Formats: sequence, structure tokens, C-alpha cells
Amino acid sequence: MSFTLHNYVLSGNCYKIRLMASLLNVTYESIAVDFHPGQEHKSEPLLQLNPAGTLPVLTTTDGTVLTETQAMLVWLAQQHDPSNSWWPVHSKPQITRVVQWLGFASRLTATVGELRLHSMLNKPVNVTAVKTGAKVVLRELESHLTEQRINNLQWLTGDTPTVADIACFPYTALSPDAGIEHDDYPAIRRWLHRLRSLPGFITMPGIYELHELRKPDGYTVSDATL
Amino acid sequence: MTTQPVGLSIDLAPQQVMRAIDGQYDMAVWRSTSGVVSAWENRCPHRGMRLSYGFVRGESLACAYHGWHYSCEGYCHYIPAHPELTPPKTVRPVLYSVVEQSGLIWVNTEQDAMPVALPDDLQPVRSLVIECDLATAVQALDTRQPHGGVESLSDTPKIITFETGGISQGAVVAIQQSQPNRLIVHMLVQSAVTAKDKIALSRLIESVRRQAESACNEAT
Repeated sequence: MSFTLHNYVLSGNCYKIRLMASLLNVTYESIAVDFHPGQEHKSEPLLQLNPAGTLPVLTTTDGTVLTETQAMLVWLAQQHDPSNSWWPVHSKPQITRVVQWLGFASRLTATVGELRLHSMLNKPVNVTAVKTGAKVVLRELESHLTEQRINNLQWLTGDTPTVADIACFPYTALSPDAGIEHDDYPAIRRWLHRLRSLPGFITMPGIYELHELRKPDGYTVSDATL
Repeated sequence: MTTQPVGLSIDLAPQQVMRAIDGQYDMAVWRSTSGVVSAWENRCPHRGMRLSYGFVRGESLACAYHGWHYSCEGYCHYIPAHPELTPPKTVRPVLYSVVEQSGLIWVNTEQDAMPVALPDDLQPVRSLVIECDLATAVQALDTRQPHGGVESLSDTPKIITFETGGISQGAVVAIQQSQPNRLIVHMLVQSAVTAKDKIALSRLIESVRRQAESACNEAT
């Protein structure tokens, strides 16, 4: 066990950490927090661990407590990626771009993520503001991924995936939960598909495995066209 | 009924499904594993589920709801809950005429698809949604022309050539009128153009979108 994660299954930010750990083949101890309806993340024991009252919370075996999701991704990659590709320390220009998109991921959470909490759990938010904000960030992401495609680059910051792709993935993929379908965003659709094809990819409610990668479990189709 | 461009061919890879809307027509457009493109009414004949939520298995589109499999000809040939059953030929969604030409997917919901002839040797730049009416969008494109107005290659659908300051070869902009105040702009350019110029065009069309949408918002 390399760390402990205070976790909530429906949280996109918690899923980032579960996904990164799975892609890096890291095991950890998960502690389920009753975010809804229990509001356990605002309870005294959890506020003592993380005064911000947010999830996830990552505690390392040496006692370091991380409360910022993007920092957890960096920590995981630094500790558990010997190839140094997910946190590309050997390329200063790329790592700068990675940090840029880690910042962008927080804007996705603040817009698409908030709108999703409003849609799913009736969280009171300024709906007009977060809807407008969500459209702005998704259009920015779409344009960037379009430019990457024109340059024959598959991922957000280059030709390999980094923690930035993982940071931006969940709330983009979950935008239909917030009432924003992916119809208007072809470059985003391609990138989501690519990410869901990665070895070690895991799902969460709202983000499913690709049917074409699924083994036909038990049923066989007789038609020769398949 | 005109033949509408509903997307760039590169944006629909094999085994992918996308949704396209043309006025009152809601479509599932999908590409089989071998590359065949189909455009169908976006409604499973079984329970009415949107087929655009479905998934491609080989040369079939399967509905996400109960997994009914439809061949490229639209016939249901497999029902997972009744694997021994041969489904009747009547179980079939409405099929629309679809053609791929000039890097675009063209659909006609009422008769055979007849794409507008475009210049040879075009490469895709991107598709993007502009939330405004056609006249405002064309006006916004017009203001970016160094030598006067845009030249129309076709009026329905609206297809124009688009010159830009830095790029000698003009781009082609095919505008799909998806819904009132919702356009999908498909941009292509001569393949000799560099990646840098394609990116410049992509940014230019975003700038046009900002202008058109803000003009549209002021008007309402």
C-alpha cells in the first residue's frame, strides 16, 4: 500500500486519482467517504485532516497529506512512473505545458464540475455563470486538441499522455451528466476515446469502457458480418 | 430538400457513432469497422432509444438499450435476449442517403444525396459550432475578407470560399444549418497549406465565431 485515499465513487476528482493509480499499477487503501447525503467531508474528523473540506485527500505512508488533486497526480507520477513520461521531468518545455493544463483542469472542475453537482445533487450554483463558463472551457479544449491534431500530436501536451490528460479527462468526459453532450466537440470525442483505450483504464459511473475493447462475455453472435 | 454536410470524414473514425441534427431530423451517423458510413433516423425501432448512444460491433450498429444489432443495410439481425430468433425484416430504422466527398460526410434526408462539387485536393481544418443565424455568420466572415465579400460556391447549403491575408490559397467553408441559430461550420483548405497556416485558419474561424455570436446576442 503506497498511500491512503479518502474517496467518493461519484467524484470526478477522486476518479482522477483512482485512474492514475490504475494506469501506473499502484495499489492503495481506499476509505469511502459519505459525501452525499452524509456530508461526511465536512465533519470534524475530516476537517482535521483537510480544513478545506474537499475530496479526495491523499495520505502518503510517511504522513504527508495532499488535498489538491493535481498535486496528487504529480506525486503519483513522481513516485511510481520510472519512465518519467507522465510527469516529463526531462523536457522543460513539455513540463511547462503540463502545468498549464493542470491549471486548466481546475477551471473544468469549477464550471463543468459545478454544473454537474447542480444537475445531480441540486447543489445551489449560479447556473447561468457556470453554463457559460463550461462552454468557454470546453471550446478552449476543443480548439487546443484541434491544433494538436493538425500538428499530428495525440495528447494535450505532446505525443504521449501526461498527468495533464488525466487531470482534464474526468469532468470533460462527465459533461453529459451536466447536460452538455459531446456532439459539438469532435476533437474532444477523439481524445476521450484515445484515453479510454489506454491499458489499465478503469471506469466510474458515467464513464464506461469502450464496447470495441470489451471481450464478448459469454454471448456469441452467429452472423458472419460481425 | 438539399444535401447537407454533417461532418468532416476525419471526425468519424471507424467504429464511431455521432449525432447530427438537420432541422427536424435527428440522425445517428456511424462508421463500420471496414469504413462504411451510414446515416439513420436517431431512434431504435425497438424502444425509441437514440441510436447515437449505441456502439459499433464489426459491420453492425448496436443499440445501447437492449443491444439489438443492425447491419449497414439497417436490418436487425441479432437480439441478445433472443439469440435464436431471426428478427423480421420490418425491424429497421429509417435510412437516409449518405455520401462521402471532398473530405465531408453529406446527408440527404429525403432523396439521394448529391454533394456540391468542391475544388480538388482539399484537406480538413475543423468543424465548429456557431450559435447564430446564417446571415450574421456570413456577414462576420465577409468582414475578414481582404478583397471584398466572400464568394459563394453554393447557396443551399451555403458554401463559400474564404481568403485570408497570410494564406495565398483560399479556404472552403461549408455551413450546415443544423437548427435555427445553430450553424456547424466545416472548414477545409488546399492540402499544400502548412500546419501553421491551418492553425491560423482555425483561430481565424474562432475569431469569426466570437464576432458573429456577439452580434447575434446584441440583436436579441
